[in-house]
Amino acid sequence: MPQPLVGSFPYDKVKGTAVPKPTRTASEQGYVSEITKGIAVTMTHFFKNTRAMVRGERPDPVVDPMSEGITTLEYPDQKRPYPERFRGVHRLTHRDDGSPRCVACLCCSTACPAQCIYIEAGEYGGKDKRHGYERYPVKFVIDELRCIFCGYCVEACPCDAIRMDTGVHPVPYDSRDQFIYGKNMLLAMASQAGKQKHENPRAEPPDADYGPIERLAGHH
Amino acid sequence: MTLSSIIWTVVKILIVVGFIVNLSAILTWMERRQSAMMQDRVGPNRAEITVFGYKIRLFGLLYPIADAVKMFTKEDFIPPNADKVLHSLAPMLSLFPPLVVLGVVPFTDTLCLDNLHEVVQKNGVVASNWHFFSSWIEQPSCSLPGAKNFIDGCCVIGCQTAGVVHQPWAEHFGTCPANVAPGMIGAIHMQVIDFNPGVLYVFALAGMGIVGASIAGWSSDNKFSLMGGLRAASQLVSYEVAMGLSIVGAIMVYGTIRLDEMTRWQGDHVWGVFVQPLAFILFLTAAIAETKRAPFDLPEGESEIVAGYLVEYSGMKFGMFYMGEFIEIATSSALLVAIFLGGYNMPFLHRDGITIAVGDAVVWKQHIPHILVILMQAGAFFGKIFVLCWFQMFVRWTLPRFRYDQLMKLGWRMLLPAALANIFLTGVILIAFDRTGTEFQERMGVVGDFVNLATAIAITFVQLWIVIGFFGSTQPAIRRNAFNKRARSAGEIVEKALAS
Amino acid sequence: MPSIKLDGKEIPFEKGETIITAAHKAGVEIPHYCWHPGLSVAANCRMCLVEIDATPTRRQLVLDVLAWDEKKQDYVPGRKPKLEPACQVECIDGLVVKSDTSPNVSDARKHVQEFLLLNHPVDCPICDQAGECKLQDYWLSEDKQPKRKTEEILHKPKAVEFGDTIVYDAERCIVCTRCVRFMDEIAKDPVLDKRERGNLGEIFVSPGRKLEGHYTMMVDEVCPVGALTTKDFRFKARVWFLKKVPSICPGCATGCNTWLDYDARTGEVPRLRPRENLAVNKYWMCDDGILTHRRVQEKRTLHAYVGKGKARKEVSPIAALKAAAQLIKDAPGKVAIILSAQRSTEDNFALAYLAKKHLDVKELFLARVGDWDGDDILRDNDANPNVRGAQRGAGDTSLSPLSELAEPVAGQQISVLIALGGEADISDATTVGALGRAKLIAIAANHGPLTENAEVILPAASFAEQDGSFINRQGTEQRFSAGPEPAGDSLAGWDILARLARQLGKPIDWKSFLDVRAAMKAALPSPAAANPESAAAAAPAE
Ligand code: SF4
Ligand code: SF4
Ligand code: SF4
Ligand code: SF4
Ligand code: FES
Repeated sequence: MPQPLVGSFPYDKVKGTAVPKPTRTASEQGYVSEITKGIAVTMTHFFKNTRAMVRGERPDPVVDPMSEGITTLEYPDQKRPYPERFRGVHRLTHRDDGSPRCVACLCCSTACPAQCIYIEAGEYGGKDKRHGYERYPVKFVIDELRCIFCGYCVEACPCDAIRMDTGVHPVPYDSRDQFIYGKNMLLAMASQAGKQKHENPRAEPPDADYGPIERLAGHH
Repeated sequence: MTLSSIIWTVVKILIVVGFIVNLSAILTWMERRQSAMMQDRVGPNRAEITVFGYKIRLFGLLYPIADAVKMFTKEDFIPPNADKVLHSLAPMLSLFPPLVVLGVVPFTDTLCLDNLHEVVQKNGVVASNWHFFSSWIEQPSCSLPGAKNFIDGCCVIGCQTAGVVHQPWAEHFGTCPANVAPGMIGAIHMQVIDFNPGVLYVFALAGMGIVGASIAGWSSDNKFSLMGGLRAASQLVSYEVAMGLSIVGAIMVYGTIRLDEMTRWQGDHVWGVFVQPLAFILFLTAAIAETKRAPFDLPEGESEIVAGYLVEYSGMKFGMFYMGEFIEIATSSALLVAIFLGGYNMPFLHRDGITIAVGDAVVWKQHIPHILVILMQAGAFFGKIFVLCWFQMFVRWTLPRFRYDQLMKLGWRMLLPAALANIFLTGVILIAFDRTGTEFQERMGVVGDFVNLATAIAITFVQLWIVIGFFGSTQPAIRRNAFNKRARSAGEIVEKALAS
Repeated sequence: MPSIKLDGKEIPFEKGETIITAAHKAGVEIPHYCWHPGLSVAANCRMCLVEIDATPTRRQLVLDVLAWDEKKQDYVPGRKPKLEPACQVECIDGLVVKSDTSPNVSDARKHVQEFLLLNHPVDCPICDQAGECKLQDYWLSEDKQPKRKTEEILHKPKAVEFGDTIVYDAERCIVCTRCVRFMDEIAKDPVLDKRERGNLGEIFVSPGRKLEGHYTMMVDEVCPVGALTTKDFRFKARVWFLKKVPSICPGCATGCNTWLDYDARTGEVPRLRPRENLAVNKYWMCDDGILTHRRVQEKRTLHAYVGKGKARKEVSPIAALKAAAQLIKDAPGKVAIILSAQRSTEDNFALAYLAKKHLDVKELFLARVGDWDGDDILRDNDANPNVRGAQRGAGDTSLSPLSELAEPVAGQQISVLIALGGEADISDATTVGALGRAKLIAIAANHGPLTENAEVILPAASFAEQDGSFINRQGTEQRFSAGPEPAGDSLAGWDILARLARQLGKPIDWKSFLDVRAAMKAALPSPAAANPESAAAAAPAE
């Protein structure tokens, strides 16, 4: 049944069901008793929590996060342990000689949905043992503010050159440019276990297991 | 005006302003901490100072200091097209009135300066060689040479106009009339200004709160500010009417508009809340509305108009509004205490000590020296204010904001008629009461004593409950783990289903 | 027309065509490495193997093989047709060829692919070819299995410099000899050859020589893998970031058809590639033509300037337009224009139209750059792409060379010049002096002698950034399309001229390139004799 109509609004022409006005008792209309009930609820919480606070009986926010009472984690003092596969800020892995493992292939920056990786590729000089064999990032910049921490860059990297296992979540800084991590910053980061090396072994020119370059001398 | 009276006035101002300003600072902490406790949060606890290598946090009590530092060092921004003078004037206008309102509220009974260590009775009798356990010797005269006058039971030295006990000048100002030789003052009225308009002064100043808010709204050159200012003006005007009318009933009962006399009436009979319960609720509601806080925070309504008239304020100017708001809580609490909750009076605490008596039957009696009585009264007064502030916080953190039309309806269509009805009813009862005989009136006096007794018991019980509940039992509280409980019951259901 | 049947599809051919050529023309691709439509057949990569059924005139070779039997878990004797390279077998009418539909062919391709990758370094992360590499494409479409060889690959020289333009990586080379054949057959300079056999095979430059000449960068283009890379493009971009539009090389009057590869994010144009047009450039370009992509970045006039020499300062384009209009208004009847053989026909038309119709200009000059060394492969002596277009834009009138400018300027008949383009070959001092004396308004994309002497410079879009057309030496009008957004404050040349006209109060309201084309069609009576084939090929791919 439609409710009695008010004014000249053509309710009968509009399709839909009128929502009946909720019935209210006198005590509800009189404010006071309902307000008292409400304040009773907040007071119960207040006294319980104050008591727990005074007596130092707050539930442990890490072990017991779902219990009643104050289960706030007081962040910088208390920290929830991060899982091993937590994606923190990026790091660039090192080769054995400390140079970046990255070969500036731009796969990460291609995969990045936030387009926050900027790389400039460079060639190792003519004398370098890696000349022609590898290239390296002249610039490697990640805008950690724009990054959405999806980890696609890590998945995309063919060289295990970029990782997100630092366990460091993005720190709040004062200004935007502090979020722009350059190559050196990224190279300086270590994994949660303190590792900086890559784990994608590859024989490199001076290594013993790098096959000899067999040139048949004098043959043209 | 003598030098001593000036000094005393300054001291009283310092007491009142010092109390109220510090209370407002503490209230800012209380607001955060209390709301946190109500909402299962931790609340403020990070402001810290290092003293001798120790990091001190004081449960977040340092927050007001940090706030002050922040507000003083922040940019003081004035919008380019704002009215610069009015924009700067507005915060002062809204801070000043609540600060001075308390000038007429007495915070203890009249102080007999020369009998601090003695027991002073109502009629001016002083027991000089008071001892806690021994009986006391009545000395029905002023112990000081040449002092024969009593004001509120205190000796007045130097006013030698014998026989005039209720001399208006001396009574109201604690000094001698002009034609009398000046001398030392023996009786100090414990309120800053001692003059007749009483509550009218309160309302006059409270009315100025509108000016601050609406000037702020107008001068900010911001549409949200303007709307906030308009809302503030109309809200304050509306609720001032209800507020003013709500205490008319109380004035009729007390027979005075002076707050000190109202307080004394309540000390002699019962607290006003018991004779004027409806007026108490109306006044409380209107007072909360006057502070512009939830559920009446429409002038700031952040979901609709950002922050209302505060939008364009920053730094200490904003701080002044903020302080004014908290001071208003304190002042409104003080007024409620003075008018309805007995002011500095506690049940059975009299000028000469504690006398637990119902009717003529004295249950227990203990004389207490004057200075201790005064201190207890001060403690009671400030303690009551504190409890009321605490209660107002509950209201603010429990109730959601009204809609604007609801606000207006509540003011004009509920509070105002109720206040009028209260006046009418009070009048009828007063006339009826006057017609009854003395016997009935005496019986009512006994009822009042019972009420006092109940009040005293209730207060004691609550205090005990808090102390025992908080510190008493060493048994660890059992925490219910809602999540585990739910998980357990789900497991049980599955098990049962498997078993069947 | 005779036809063959490839995977059940009828494919016509002309006499002498191989299967792969016929299929290519019909738009069907048979996987291949060493075959290139513009080169001779080497048939050394074996990727194009197909199964050809016997016909009455042609018998099918069948081989005895051992085939793995799943049920017996053993090899059993079997027979299988011998596959033949599609790049070498000539079509015969009615030939039935199976390519994708034959399991034998798929098998063969898979194994060829595996062999090619056996000693391949799989350098893809650092390889410029990645993304357009046939090894990658065919691994994905034909092979798709991880490498089975576990030993370290055979290492060969990397980053060998073949000359000033090309770097060679022997590890990546599949020795298809396309590069060798290109140098031999097209560049006519057989400086590359192959040495060693099998795994050790590699390409080398004749001892004592470098890879040089006008056509070195084409070897990178023909190399199907990343073995040859140009120093110009090396490590500059990843190809999957690049977008392409059809364009025309602005290098010389030949007008080679190109693909313009650009990075839409930065507006950079890192390279040009030849686009197939059999009537003009077939499949090729010269080095200088490829390097014209640098004109999009180098010496650009990105902003408007007013003033000469030390007094020159950057202003807003509107201010510069106003200044130019003021110059023109101040010298009624003394205005001449300089058309440009470097800019599109439409820009030239726009300037000539404004000048002749609205400013009553009689004197039309033509700025052109000097000749370069042409040859009979592609390059024309005339390094201006659009001399004919400039003439056409001016209504097929003849245009005076800049050297004839000195006299009227000295005689005060001309005091204001509106020039299109910044480049010009001005060698004699009198012309330079004349340019200096007259007030010159240059609408240019690059700095050059004309902008040097200009009073007002209006920044125009480069050939990569605006739509337009050139008319080449054959008289063919060839359209090119806009790639990146115009850099800096620049705008298309015709757009600047239309705005200048509006500043002068003249009713020219072209809003788009098509408006200019329409105006040109209406204003110029006889269309230039178009070469239908090249015009069709030059039309934008969309
Ligand atoms: S985590 Fe995701 S968003 Fe962040 S840099 Fe890597 S790919 Fe980009
Ligand atoms: S981090 Fe990895 S994916 Fe990114 S450029 Fe370097 S090598 Fe390539
Ligand atoms: S030539 Fe092709 S397969 Fe080889 S490294 Fe380059 S992109 Fe990869
Ligand atoms: S360099 Fe390239 S074109 Fe030349 S043989 Fe090797 S793979 Fe073929
Ligand atoms: S394309 Fe036919 S063998 Fe290489």
